Amino acid sequence: MKGRNLLLIAILAVISLVYLFPIYWTVVTSLKTSTEVFTRPPVFFPSQITLSNFFVSVDVFRAVSQTAVGSIPWMIDSTIIAVLATLISTFLIAAPAAYALVRFIRNVWLARLILFMTMIPEAVFVVPFFIIDAKLGLLNTWWGLILVYISFSAPFSTWLLMGFFNDVPKSVEEAAQIDGLSPYQIFYRVSLRLVTPGIIAAVILSFISCWNELLYALVITFSPFPSGSQTVPLFLTSFIIVEKSFNWGGLAAAGIFTMLPTMIMGIFAQRYLARGLTLGSVKG
Amino acid sequence: MHQGQTLKVGLVLASPIIVYFAAFFLYPLLNLLQNAFTSTSGSFTLANFQSMLSDPILSVSLSNTAYYFVGSVALEYSVGFVVAVILYAYTGRLKSVFRTIIFLPLMVSPVVIGLMWLLILNTNYGPLDYILSPFGLGTVNWLGSQSLAMPSLILANTWEYSPFVFLIIYAGLQTVPPHLYEAASVDGLSRFETFRYITLPSIRPSIVVAFLLNAIGVLKGFDLIYVLTNGGPGFSTYILSFYTYVVGFSFFETHYAAAIALLFLAIIGTFVFAMLRFTSVEEYLGLRRGKGE
Repeated sequence: MKGRNLLLIAILAVISLVYLFPIYWTVVTSLKTSTEVFTRPPVFFPSQITLSNFFVSVDVFRAVSQTAVGSIPWMIDSTIIAVLATLISTFLIAAPAAYALVRFIRNVWLARLILFMTMIPEAVFVVPFFIIDAKLGLLNTWWGLILVYISFSAPFSTWLLMGFFNDVPKSVEEAAQIDGLSPYQIFYRVSLRLVTPGIIAAVILSFISCWNELLYALVITFSPFPSGSQTVPLFLTSFIIVEKSFNWGGLAAAGIFTMLPTMIMGIFAQRYLARGLTLGSVKG
Repeated sequence: MHQGQTLKVGLVLASPIIVYFAAFFLYPLLNLLQNAFTSTSGSFTLANFQSMLSDPILSVSLSNTAYYFVGSVALEYSVGFVVAVILYAYTGRLKSVFRTIIFLPLMVSPVVIGLMWLLILNTNYGPLDYILSPFGLGTVNWLGSQSLAMPSLILANTWEYSPFVFLIIYAGLQTVPPHLYEAASVDGLSRFETFRYITLPSIRPSIVVAFLLNAIGVLKGFDLIYVLTNGGPGFSTYILSFYTYVVGFSFFETHYAAAIALLFLAIIGTFVFAMLRFTSVEEYLGLRRGKGE
């Protein structure tokens, strides 16, 4: 048994190395001096470490110089957009809808529809959403993106929360009913609190997917100038387009710097996320 | 509560999602249909669908999508599956450490994953060339060659998505009741027989769900292609999602883009329908057991 486990540890160590390597390589590149970035053979363990890559200026948007650390305004925009889209879709739309679909309007076709809506690629609706935002005058604004982000985060959170509400024992709600609570009070004061782990999972996953979203952001906040509505992926892609062949240290620094908030969030919330990422098929 | 009151409460609670459904699903869908079946002057036409038949970039994008789909799902699924089985077989204390490490790629934003692989796959200074140099490959132009760009994308995508398959299969393995294994060893089944006749049938739900969600994730893919190859070189990494974007927002052919988007929706719809019809995936996702019916 002992020998078998040692062999497995060796195999798992190699597997872990493969999954860690791209992250390691990016971190190391962000800390290298420029001479060690462009060398053959590549330097796996830098002899000298520098933070200067995080402060190197790059023309990201037309005539606007930025550093990796200068992405903070974009991170703030991303945060505001992701928080508002998440709060609206989770608490205003998904939670009451999921509760209604589990307790009051049990219909397999409605559940199927919700499931299908979570599977529609962004590219399908990118043209209509652009037209709608243009008509409403919402291009290059926060609300232009928030509305569109609700489109994917609402069905996702609804589906996820349906699974959690379904696990709430009916007896708890019946007891609350005997105590004289109205159905709305039962939803708000009893059941909603009992699905807190589901709410946490929905909120975090919705936040991360809004924060990471690229296609809609490219189309709806396409302005070549910073408009106060551009999100981190847009900052990064323009950084990449400008710097692809020259400033890898800066590029890696920008990637690492902007990845930290969601990554830290994800690692801490790991146990809540498995069920959400897998549309409820993984419990616990 | 009697029947009528139940329905009323349900409708009140569901009213936001009804508004959502009208505004974010029905309206865009009607908008797509309207655009796809009209010309720029607004008159009814089937021209957008006719031009699909003679569009060489569309047919390339479709065959690339098939290539990308089959390659990514096959690789991601087998890697994720094997890693899950290996971690499950290991019973030591480092289990949760390994699990967290394999979980990490799921927490990295797709654009940053693209950036990471841009650095790794670079021809002259990238580490992959160096790691493979003992095999005598020399310098390889991973992203710049017609034949290697797609495999490189699939490689990066596998790093991103195999942990997802891993997650589902690994969770499935943990639900296999231990007494089944005890019975198997009493009956003298070999390790392979145990896996084949005990483990695999027990984790059937995870096997099906992982396939569905993996496949949908691959079909949705856009970010990695945008960052790594931007469809190139030539049209060799154009897939359906990328081509829809290009037609709509580089060619500015809104009506034609709408027609392609409908084709895309039909492909997704057919795939999901087939999965629901021919597998028990609904049951495994908790649909018949709890949600609905």
